[in-house]
Amino acid sequence: MNTDNCITLENVAIGYSGKVLLKDINFSLKVGEFVVLFGPNGSGKTTLFKTILRIIPLIQGAIRYGDGHPTRFGYVPQRQYLDEIYPFTTEEVVLMGTFGQAKPFCPTPKTNRVWIEQCLKDVGMLDMRKKLFSELSGGQKQRILIARALATRPNVLLLDEPITGVDIIAQKKIIELISELHKKRQLTIMMVTHEVQHIPSWVNKIIHIHHNKVVLGSLEEIISLSTIDEIPT
Amino acid sequence: MEHLLEIINPHFLLRNAFYAGLIVGFVCPQVGIFFVLRRMVLLGIALPQVSNAGIAFAFLLHTIGWHFFPHMESEKTMALTGSVIFALIAIFTLAILERKRKGFTENRIGFTYVLAGAVSILFVSWNPYGQTEVLSMIRGEIVSIPDFYLWSMLVIYGTIFICLVGFHRNFVLVSYDTDMAITLGKQVILWDIMLYLIIGIVISFGVMTVGPLVIFGFLLIPPVAARMVVRGILPFCIVSSIIGTTASFIGFYISYRYDLPTGPTDVALLCVILIILYLGKLCVRLKRKN
Repeated sequence: MNTDNCITLENVAIGYSGKVLLKDINFSLKVGEFVVLFGPNGSGKTTLFKTILRIIPLIQGAIRYGDGHPTRFGYVPQRQYLDEIYPFTTEEVVLMGTFGQAKPFCPTPKTNRVWIEQCLKDVGMLDMRKKLFSELSGGQKQRILIARALATRPNVLLLDEPITGVDIIAQKKIIELISELHKKRQLTIMMVTHEVQHIPSWVNKIIHIHHNKVVLGSLEEIISLSTIDEIPT
Repeated sequence: MEHLLEIINPHFLLRNAFYAGLIVGFVCPQVGIFFVLRRMVLLGIALPQVSNAGIAFAFLLHTIGWHFFPHMESEKTMALTGSVIFALIAIFTLAILERKRKGFTENRIGFTYVLAGAVSILFVSWNPYGQTEVLSMIRGEIVSIPDFYLWSMLVIYGTIFICLVGFHRNFVLVSYDTDMAITLGKQVILWDIMLYLIIGIVISFGVMTVGPLVIFGFLLIPPVAARMVVRGILPFCIVSSIIGTTASFIGFYISYRYDLPTGPTDVALLCVILIILYLGKLCVRLKRKN
């Protein structure tokens, strides 16, 4: 594994409309690492995640990207936030990943079409390309959103609660897929989850939001902290 | 057949109204797509009403001797300016409030609708002259459209159509997944402003030509009907415009043939198309089940 940092947070404070939600956040992601951002519902995981993605502005501190290398994000949102009124086919959803480089007034180049086919193949959804996105199951939608993120040709893949609300078999398949992509494409991966059992045992780092503090820990430490929280006082 | 040949004859007396209807039928559904997909259909009712208020206000100013432009005293120009200004102020105010999440969207749009409706009537009633003329313009003078107006409409709607097609990916991405758009480096606010500008201009111009009811009909019904029968965003856009243009063409023919008002005939026809497509879809579903 490379030791270069691809994302570094220094004394970062995050929140909405100037209101601080979490402060004194210091950690870094190394190239090729698999990191889990863990914490209970409402703890600020998604806010931290979106701040890293530059969707929400920083309140304080600095985030450094790439150490000289450009960072391209592949973003997998929580699928329930995507409106099903849009009559997109799965192929069209994945094609969105290429819109960052798309030129206005030009049709989609053939190379992009070939590329999204490859992305669909990588997530095992090529045969579903003509199906409507809204007709897919939760697990299938998640795979398509991962393919869309891959279509951006990312070096960092960020997944927001990718296995929440899908059945156990689909959860297992998605975790296997993410793990495979991590190994095959040498991607740096950051995954958000609020359930401790969703954390794969082989992750490199766990960032835990616990009582409004951001701490780094091992899976054992996280489990013990979660267990302490569950003991009634 | 005789009437049909008459309509498509280049020397047809009401050709400008016919062409204007076709332009509205072709371009409005492309804008309406975003109303339907962004779930802003109610805004599609409120904005034409606001445009109406702008027209009535401009007429009132014109009557009492105020002019937006000293050397441009044409009533139509004044009315169009009023329509555009009112529509843009309304859409941007509503968009800002939406972004700041102040109150409920439905309440804001409902308030805008009743306020615009009330002030439109008040402006018309305060106008000491030409109430009939103002009312006829607010209803949409689809029959008497001068050449200059038709050409302006062709240029404006044509430009808007080219923008919508050329920047289609950005408009769709920003509407569907704002966060993804930001991570891909898109200027979301810029694209939103551009889309709102397009909506404001299309509605203002359309209201002046065919009236608020017809504009709302062409914005809403073709995309709703198309969504029922297509798979994919590109066919959705194409079929929406085909439905709009077809309804405009057949609607004009029916209204000319049977001496009916064109606007309401167009809207009624659009509703018939929607119902037919819905029933057709229902039949296909039942057939598949059996």
